Amino acid sequence: MRTSDLKISISGIRGIVGQSLTPQLILKFSEAFSSFIGEGEIGVATDTRPSGSMLKYAVFSGLLSCGAIPVDMGILPIPSLQVYVKSKHLRGGISITASHNPVEWNALKLIKNGGFFLSPYEAEELLDYYYQGRFKRVAQSGIIKKEGHPFQIHETKILDFIQGDLIANKQLKVIVDPCGGAASPYVKSFLEQLGVEVKCINCGLSNGFPRNPEPLPQNITALSESVKKHGADIGFAQDADADRLAVVDEKGSPIGEEYTLALAIQYYLNHKQKTPVVINLSTSRVIQDISEKAGVELIRTKVGEINVSKKMLDTGSKIGGEGNGGIIAADIHACRDSFVGMALILEYLAVSGKKTSQLKSALPYYKMIKDKIKANFNDRKRILHLIQAKFDQGQTNTEDGLKVEYPDFWLHVRPSNTEPVMRIIIEGKNDRLVESIYSEIKECL
Amino acid sequence: MEDRLRISVSGVRGKVPGALNVEVASQFASAFSSYLEKGTVALCRDCRESSRMLSLSAISSVLASGLDCIDYGRLPTPFLQFSLRNSKFSGGISVSAGHNPSPWNAILLLNQEGHYLEAAEGNNVFNVYEAGSFDKAAWNQLGHISKKEFPLDAYLKILSSVVDSSEIRKAKFKITADPCNGAVSPFLKPYSEFFNLKMVYINNEIDQPFSHPPEPSIENSSQAQAVVKATNSDLGFLLNSDGSRLSLVSDKGAALSEESTLPLCLISLKKNITTAVSTVATSSIVDWAADICGIKILKTRVGQSSVCHTMIAERAEAGGEGSGSFAFLPFSPGYDSLFSLTLILDLMAKQRKKLSEIISPFPDLVRKKIKIKVSPVKTYRVMDQLEDKYSKEHPDFTDGIRVDRKKAWFIIRPSLTEFILRIMIEGQDLESVNSIEEEIKERIET
Repeated sequence: MRTSDLKISISGIRGIVGQSLTPQLILKFSEAFSSFIGEGEIGVATDTRPSGSMLKYAVFSGLLSCGAIPVDMGILPIPSLQVYVKSKHLRGGISITASHNPVEWNALKLIKNGGFFLSPYEAEELLDYYYQGRFKRVAQSGIIKKEGHPFQIHETKILDFIQGDLIANKQLKVIVDPCGGAASPYVKSFLEQLGVEVKCINCGLSNGFPRNPEPLPQNITALSESVKKHGADIGFAQDADADRLAVVDEKGSPIGEEYTLALAIQYYLNHKQKTPVVINLSTSRVIQDISEKAGVELIRTKVGEINVSKKMLDTGSKIGGEGNGGIIAADIHACRDSFVGMALILEYLAVSGKKTSQLKSALPYYKMIKDKIKANFNDRKRILHLIQAKFDQGQTNTEDGLKVEYPDFWLHVRPSNTEPVMRIIIEGKNDRLVESIYSEIKECL
Repeated sequence: MEDRLRISVSGVRGKVPGALNVEVASQFASAFSSYLEKGTVALCRDCRESSRMLSLSAISSVLASGLDCIDYGRLPTPFLQFSLRNSKFSGGISVSAGHNPSPWNAILLLNQEGHYLEAAEGNNVFNVYEAGSFDKAAWNQLGHISKKEFPLDAYLKILSSVVDSSEIRKAKFKITADPCNGAVSPFLKPYSEFFNLKMVYINNEIDQPFSHPPEPSIENSSQAQAVVKATNSDLGFLLNSDGSRLSLVSDKGAALSEESTLPLCLISLKKNITTAVSTVATSSIVDWAADICGIKILKTRVGQSSVCHTMIAERAEAGGEGSGSFAFLPFSPGYDSLFSLTLILDLMAKQRKKLSEIISPFPDLVRKKIKIKVSPVKTYRVMDQLEDKYSKEHPDFTDGIRVDRKKAWFIIRPSLTEFILRIMIEGQDLESVNSIEEEIKERIET
C-alpha cells in the first residue's frame, strides 16, 4: 500500500514541503476557500516555519484570484488570529501552520467568520469546491492589507480579563518555551505585562525548530532544566501555533498535558464562575471529578476543537478544552488558547499561594496511556468490533470511534481521518490495570 | 473562441481570469524556475488589476523551486531587462501584457542577459511546463524573497553616456506625457527633472484603469494631440503599459505613426550604428532612414525575441519594429520607450530643430494596419489558402506572407498575441492601398 504524505481532509490541507505540498496545491486550496467563503477580508498568518513565506505568497495569490482581500498578519499564533477574525468581523482567516508537526511539514488551517474552524459539513463543501475546481475567479484583484499590530486585540482581551495586580504582587518567576514558534515574538512581553519575571528559552526565530514542537514531556527537557536552574515557580511550553500548552512544576517535572487543562478548569470553576464544562471524549476523568465537585454539568463531544467550541456556545459553557493542553476560555474566545491558559494558571498560583506541584498533587490521580497503532484503512472497522466484543460489559459510546467506560477505567479507540492508524487512550486509577487493558487491546490487532 | 492561452516566446498570454489565471502563472513560473540555473529571479509587474495576483503566485513558485526572488514591484519591463543586464540574476519574469487591452495579461520570461527567450530556449521551458515535473526544494532549501527599488540614478547615468544630456537640459523642452496610467508613470517626474523638461501629464495615475487602449498609435493620440496644442508643447508622447513602445505627437499637434519611432531613433544614433535589425512588417520609412544614415538593415520575423536574437547573432547594435519599439544593445537588452524618447529629444537638441521639421523629409507613404478576427482553429487554414493564392507573386515567407508590388507592399500574418490576422499595407497612394485591402478581404472571405 502506498500512502501520500499529502493530507487533504476536512481538517484542511497538510503535507511535506519539497515533496507533496506545492505552491500549486496551496494556490488552488486558497482559491477554493475564497470561493467558498465569499468576498471580503481574510486574515493570513504564519507560524515561524521557513516555508511560511513561500506558502503565504501562494495563499495571497489564490485569495486575490477569487475576490478576497488578504490581510497580512505576519507571524501570529492561531488563537490570536481567531480572536482577530472575530473582533474585526473579518470574513475568515488562514493560518499557515502545521502546528505540532515537525518542521518539514506545513498546512493551511481555515477559519470562518466568528473566528471558528469549519464544521465538518462546511469542510466537506469546501472540498467540493476544491476537487471540482469551482473557483469564482475575478478579473480585477484587490489589494493586500497589512496589520502592524496583529497580537494586540488578543493580548488586551486577556489582560482585561485577568487580575494582573494579584499576579504581580506575588513576584513569580516564569520560564517559557515557545519552541521558536508563532508565539516567540509576543510571549515574553505578554507575560511581563501579567507582572511576572520572565525568562524565555527557544524564543528566537531560527531556521527550523529548536525542539520537536509537540509539547510532550520528552520534548521539553530543556524547559525542565531551566526551571530548576533558575528556581522558577513554573515553566510553560507552547507548540508552533501556540494553541496547546504544557506546564512544568517548580521542581522541573512536567505535570502532563491533561493536568494543564485540569488546573485551568479547577481554577476557573472555583474562583471565576460556575459554568458547564465541555471537553472531548478523550479527555481525562480528572476534569469529570473536578466538575462533579464543583457541582457543574460536564459535557463531552467528539474530538476536534470545533466540536468543543460549538458545544460551549450552544450550552453557554465558559470553560472547556481538549486534554492535549488545549484550554478554551469563552470569555476570550471559544478556541484553544495557550495564552489564556498561562494567565489562568498564573492567577491560580497567585490566588492560592501554593506551589505548582502542590496544585497538581491536590488533583485526583489517574494513569493514562496514549498510543497510535498501525491499522490498514479497510481493517479498522473489524478491529473496532473485536475490541467492542472484548469490552462488552462497559458503557459504550460510538459517537467518535469507540469509547467504553467502566467504573475503574475507560478506553477510547479512534481511527485517524488521514493516516492508516488508530489512536488508543486508556485511563484508570490503577497503573497496573491500565497497562493490562492496554496489552489486551493490542492483542486484538 | 477568444478565451485561449497563447504560449510563445512573446509571453504566456491570455484573458484574466479565463485562459490566464493564477494557476497557469504559477505553473509557468515553476517550469521557468526549474529550467533556470540556481540563483535569483528578478520579477516585476505592470499596473493592471490582475498583475498583482499573477506576480504573487509566480513568486511562490520561484521560492518553492529553491531560487531566490527579487521583487521590483511595479516596473517597466525594459527596466527589468536593464537590471538583468547589470546584475547577476538567473532570469527574469515580467507580468505585463504591454499593449494589449485590459482583460489580457501575460507572463514574460527573460533570460539572464535580460533578453526575451530565444525560440528554442522558450520551447524548452514550455516542455518543462507540459511535462509538469517541477523542481521542489526541501523546506530548508527554499528561496528567499526580497524587495528592491529600481536604481533610476544608475540608469540615467548610463543613459547620459549615450546622449548629450547637457544639450537636452539646455533646450528646456516642454512635453506632453501620456504613459496610459502605466508602469513608467512613477519614473517620469525624476526623469523630467534630470533632463530639465517641463512635463504636462495626462493619464498618469498608476492605480487607475487604462483610459484608452494601451497601444501607442495615432488612434489613441487624440487626448495627447489636444494637450500638445493647448500647452504649446514641443512634443507629446504615448507609452504602452510596460514602457516598451513609444509613439509621438509633433509640436504641431499632429500624431505621428508609431512607425516613425524606429527611424527617428536610428537617425539620432547613426554614429553608433552600422547594422540594425527590423522586421518584414515594418514600414519602409526605416529603409529610407537607414539609407541616408549609411546603416545596413536586416529583416526578420516580428517580435522582440526574433529581433533581439538576430541582433545578437548578426552583431547588430540596434533593432526595432514598427510598433514604436527600439533597442540599442550597448545600452540595454530590450525595447525601451524612455530610452527612445531620450534619443529623439537628443536629436531635437543637437539639430536645434522642431520635431515637425525633422520628420518633414520623411517619405510620404500611405499605410493601413488592419486586424481581422479569425477563429484560432481556422487561422492556419486561412493562411494556407492565402499562400496558395499569392504564390505566383513569390511572396516573402519570413513571417506570414509578404508581397511587394510596384506601388505598394503588404504583409498578412497571424498575431503572436491575439486571435487576429494582422495586415499591413503600405504604398505611395491611397488608391493602391485601398485596392489591396479590398483584394485581401475578398480572398480571406472566399
